[in-house]
Amino acid sequence: MIRTAVITGLGAVSAAGCGRAPLADAFRTSSITLTPVDRSAGYHRLQRSRLAALVGAAELGQWIAPLVARRMSQSSRWAVSAARMALADASLELDPQASNPVAVVMSTAYGAAAVTEKMLRQVQDEGPEAASPALFTESVANAPAAQVALAVRAVGANITVTQRQAGPLIALGTAAQEVIAGRAECALVGSVDELSPLIHSILDRFGALAPADANGHEAARPFDRRRSGFLAGEGATVVVLEEATAARRRGARALAEVDFYGSAFDPQAPRTDWSRDPSTLVESLSRLLERHDAALDDFECVVSGACGSTRGDRLEALVLEGVWGERRLPPVLAPKALTGEHGGGLLAAAVLAAAGAEFGPTPGFREVDPELGLAPFDGSNWVAPGRLLVSCLATGGAAAWAMLTRAGQ
Amino acid sequence: MVVTGCGAVSAWGWGVEPLRQGLRSGRSAIRPTTVFDTRGQRTRVAGEVPPPPVAVVQRIAEWAQLAMADRFALAAADEAVERADLALVGRLAGTFFGGSTAGMLECERYLGRLTGALAGHPRLALLASQQINGPGDAVARHLEVTGPTYTVSSACASGGLAIAAAVESIRRGEVEVAVAGGADSLCLLTYSGFNSLRSVDPEGCRPFRADRAGLSIGEGAGILILESLAGANARGASPLAEILGWGSSCDAHHMTAPHPEGDGAAAAITRALGDAGISPDQVAFINAHGTGTPHNDVSEARAIERVFGARWSRVPVTATKASVGHLLGCSGAIEAVATVLAFLDGAVQPTPGHGPVDPSLGLDLVLDEPRRLAPGSVAVSTSFAFGGANAALVLAAWGDAA
Repeated sequence: MIRTAVITGLGAVSAAGCGRAPLADAFRTSSITLTPVDRSAGYHRLQRSRLAALVGAAELGQWIAPLVARRMSQSSRWAVSAARMALADASLELDPQASNPVAVVMSTAYGAAAVTEKMLRQVQDEGPEAASPALFTESVANAPAAQVALAVRAVGANITVTQRQAGPLIALGTAAQEVIAGRAECALVGSVDELSPLIHSILDRFGALAPADANGHEAARPFDRRRSGFLAGEGATVVVLEEATAARRRGARALAEVDFYGSAFDPQAPRTDWSRDPSTLVESLSRLLERHDAALDDFECVVSGACGSTRGDRLEALVLEGVWGERRLPPVLAPKALTGEHGGGLLAAAVLAAAGAEFGPTPGFREVDPELGLAPFDGSNWVAPGRLLVSCLATGGAAAWAMLTRAGQ
Repeated sequence: MVVTGCGAVSAWGWGVEPLRQGLRSGRSAIRPTTVFDTRGQRTRVAGEVPPPPVAVVQRIAEWAQLAMADRFALAAADEAVERADLALVGRLAGTFFGGSTAGMLECERYLGRLTGALAGHPRLALLASQQINGPGDAVARHLEVTGPTYTVSSACASGGLAIAAAVESIRRGEVEVAVAGGADSLCLLTYSGFNSLRSVDPEGCRPFRADRAGLSIGEGAGILILESLAGANARGASPLAEILGWGSSCDAHHMTAPHPEGDGAAAAITRALGDAGISPDQVAFINAHGTGTPHNDVSEARAIERVFGARWSRVPVTATKASVGHLLGCSGAIEAVATVLAFLDGAVQPTPGHGPVDPSLGLDLVLDEPRRLAPGSVAVSTSFAFGGANAALVLAAWGDAA
């Protein structure tokens, strides 16, 4: 019997709010609230990017007890909350008193940045005696995955993937393998990142963020000729993965099936930017599709990690063009225009698209870049895709792709 | 699955040979820390890597731009590829790395300069490897690897989990060759963090000893080149060892304390043995996680007792951390290299340290002199992490080795 992994639940903490519904609404209406980043620490330069898709004061009391939450970093709180939302969405109850053969695979780009910064400042400003053990415990990149495991007594593999923008799909693929191989009955897989003012200021200093335009408007503009950087974002997304037959047996509703995934690396990419030459990744993606007998005509949508960066979006467009060639490219969603640059947003968008959610036009896009010739989805004639390709190209050279299919296709 | 190359950077020096000799000597390379000021810390020692030989610096063109952990990673990767006599360009290869701090040492300098705690300009170049995937990406870039690049950061289980991911990738046919391992460098975050947890031994770590008082942080890199046996044979490579299986689990018990009865650790070892198709009776020795903290060593001993049954107190146990310190996200990788070296030398390395072995643990800790191994021996290498993540690898000597 061929075992496959299906997604049966989705939980999210995002700038749109808590849960799947607010995020789905945001994608449908193409609107989300951006928030000024706290610049009071003095880390920022003047007159640069000021806004980000921040979670704000999320009401998590339903998902995590305040007494427990206070011992956690923001990332851990969001991850635990999103995991419980995902389980609720999947109507899957795990006995917290029993050991559950559940894998937890999370990805993060920056880890617990705020906690790490706070602890380092204690050490550097006051000496090592001032270092808080509670902060240290939460400073490790795998703290959110560990807290999720503790919250639901998940005793399967516990893995944290750190591969920048490619991390969420690598995590999804890793978790799918745990389920398909039978090492776990199900998996909680996702992505969490917290945007601290320090991280925001560093991204800004690197020139990665979209600065305000002449009208004071800040926006990511994926694939647009005027794109000038990305919008920073934060949040957590967790999905429940189960083996398809087992999910059916318990009467679970599947949102999407994970058909396959793969990853690659472009050694020509600079350490902090995207490569100029798409050829390595074109070859890698083509080989991946061939290996899985995936015909390009099967794809009815591409969920792209394009975020408004000059080189990143160029690379994404050239890779898609290189693989599709003369064939017509299906509609391309660029959800990071809305959620900002954080892996959880992209993962949630991909699952929602596969589950049949409606998407509006790509915010910020107006002018086709003549070099790219790619216009992301404009909101007209949306047809829920039966099969979609998710693409994440990371700064530094890593890339990951996954193919999701609408359940029942 | 065979190991055809290995490379290492450790407190014993740059390369596998200094590590091999150091481990066999039964002495410890843990010494006073020089990389940063240790005033105010409970301990002043670490498994710090000595300055690099000029030849290593000259061979790596991008040296000046690299974070310390990247340098360790590249040096070890170059050595491993050379040892494997392998041309990677044109092969379907992947990079599988474990790490916990990557460029944190340099990031700390950036933050200190930014806030005025340290003198100097906060140059952005200090942050180029700030993210934990830095060393793995640096290796992939340096070796021109175009297959999967995968970095695990599951604290001290990262290296073991990265090797496990490499094994799976080869089994699934995604890659022909895997560059697998890890790298981490000393930094204030972890040094002060374990200090704040009162988990450090001022004298240097002494795993499984009765008066052990904690761990000693180390730094370095450990890399294995993994291939399928068929692939290695096809190119005429000489295997150094086999990887028979792996297992992982989570305690789901506590953020920092291990399960007192070693539940998760035992599950990981049992799964690894099951994956390898090996019975506990066939295991010739254990390269233990052996941090030297009172609770961890008890938990690990209980796990060994549960897995190995009546034989548990007769399975030789060695703890590499007593020699080179705890390399955190890289510990599983350097200990896998140490296990391969034990096979090649035909002997389990002794565990440095002083004082009597803790009688309550009931372990057969290899002491003083290397202990001979029979040909074809099988070993288990364990890694147990903060947050309860566990990994275990089952390795075997190749052919007549050991």
